[in-house]
Amino acid sequence: MLKTIMKSDRQKSFYWALLIPTICLLGFFLVAPLIMLAELSFRGVDSYLNIQDTYTIQHYVEVFQSSTYLKTIGTTLWVAFITGLCCIILAYPAAYMLVNARTSGLRTLLYILLIMPLLISMVVLSFAWIVLLAQNGMINQVLLKMNLINEPIPMLWNLTAVVIALVQVLLPFAALPIANTLGDMDPRLRSASMSLGENRWKTFLRVTLPLSIPGIISGFVIVFSLAAGSYITALLIGGRMQPLLPLTIYQQVVQISNWPLAAALSFTLLVIVACCVLFLGWLLNRWEERVYG
Amino acid sequence: MAKSNYRRKKFNIGTFMIWLFGSLVYLFMTIPVLIIIMASFSPKAYPEFPPTSFSLHWYVELFNSSAWLETLWTSILLVLIVTPITVILGTAAAVAIRRLNFPGKQALQAMMMSPLMIPHVVLGIAFLYQGTAMGWFGTLTALIIAHIIIVFPFVIRSVGVSMSNLDPILEKASMSLGAGPIRTFFQVTIPNIKPGIMAGTVFAGVTSFGEVSVSVFVASPQWVTVPVRIFNYVEQTFDPVINAVSVVFILIAVIALIIIEKTLGLTKAF
Repeated sequence: MLKTIMKSDRQKSFYWALLIPTICLLGFFLVAPLIMLAELSFRGVDSYLNIQDTYTIQHYVEVFQSSTYLKTIGTTLWVAFITGLCCIILAYPAAYMLVNARTSGLRTLLYILLIMPLLISMVVLSFAWIVLLAQNGMINQVLLKMNLINEPIPMLWNLTAVVIALVQVLLPFAALPIANTLGDMDPRLRSASMSLGENRWKTFLRVTLPLSIPGIISGFVIVFSLAAGSYITALLIGGRMQPLLPLTIYQQVVQISNWPLAAALSFTLLVIVACCVLFLGWLLNRWEERVYG
Repeated sequence: MAKSNYRRKKFNIGTFMIWLFGSLVYLFMTIPVLIIIMASFSPKAYPEFPPTSFSLHWYVELFNSSAWLETLWTSILLVLIVTPITVILGTAAAVAIRRLNFPGKQALQAMMMSPLMIPHVVLGIAFLYQGTAMGWFGTLTALIIAHIIIVFPFVIRSVGVSMSNLDPILEKASMSLGAGPIRTFFQVTIPNIKPGIMAGTVFAGVTSFGEVSVSVFVASPQWVTVPVRIFNYVEQTFDPVINAVSVVFILIAVIALIIIEKTLGLTKAF
């Protein structure tokens, strides 16, 4: 008895020994920089943007009093919302097809097509959209050749192009959770509904769709938070001047060098995204309570 | 009979619509990749559609450019350093956290996965600020640290999938037969979660190789990775050599997918 207890103690300390390097690593290089950034967001600056030793909330006041920043926050959330919505609408039939693929070969192929963007650098995918959408890009060339247009239409440098590219880059994050919930669903539920006289459309609306809500919400949460925080695609497709919060933060650091303001904007972004994610999580819980009691 | 025929027809149309719409979505996902591959073999800066001629011009230019080769070397070096460190630390942590119970365990798990959700622009300037304050900004170490943090969740997730399939009774049996915790770890746990470790390694390598949004902040002129160089280039000019560089990324993604399918299995890994 005593021997087993000692053994389990030894095992426990061994597991702790495995975990402690990670705790140190994340503490020093993930938590510490974020705390430093939080502290920085309360530092004062002089007129040359040098960081002072004084503490102030002026940067947060500036963020929430300036109509430009408020508009930027609004646009960011709107773009993230639209991207999330488009991803869900497009991902649903794609996931449905994946789950219902007849042969395993077809399923593997669809899987590969779907998750390929996850493994290709975001900057490469954004560049591909530039090749497609540019003035002398592929789409304009095809339209010109088909005589559908007389001169190239400008398709880059606007928020619509940003959303299109973001949807392609982030769609796998929406499709995978939906595919998982659809795959876990008991097919007998659908046949039961059909045999009780409901047609296929009603079965979908009353059985399949409600049961896949958790996948839809978690997919939306991931796409929304990634879209709200991404600046690479936004900058390359939309240009530097788009009113998006991550872009503004990038500008504040890279061009203007107003570090405390950039830090305050960063925490604003972080908190807003976290609030949206928590709200959607709460919504998901409510839904599950309603459905499963 | 008539009614069932009617229903059957309707069902066919519905299924047909789903498959049509779904196929369009897959096309939408694939087009950028196909366009890049096509453009990389075009002799012109702005590729024609449909393609009329074939050339390896941009590949020749890529492999003759010492600047691109230098960044490629930096990227490869980074992957070779970051991947083993992250896989060792991440595997140890994923195993330990599964077998331990302590207050704050969920918070620690959330912290491990958080680099996936925290906006990368925020992480990037946090790393840049810390690096400047501590004096390691501009070194390769800064890039290594940033990449380890970014890649960490991918290893935790892959190894975690394998761990959830491993019955703890196996480890208990090994212990009760007299093996110590270290021997049990190396001879029972590790061999059983090998697929997860393999998939985690692939994820870590591919993610580190393609990482751009945090690297833009921590990269310095001496240490520029390929994605960061692409970003700096695309932001300022249009250089068709990037088509050829991009095909390298697509090739690596395909190889990674094959390895993941052969180890953990695609459906389980994601």
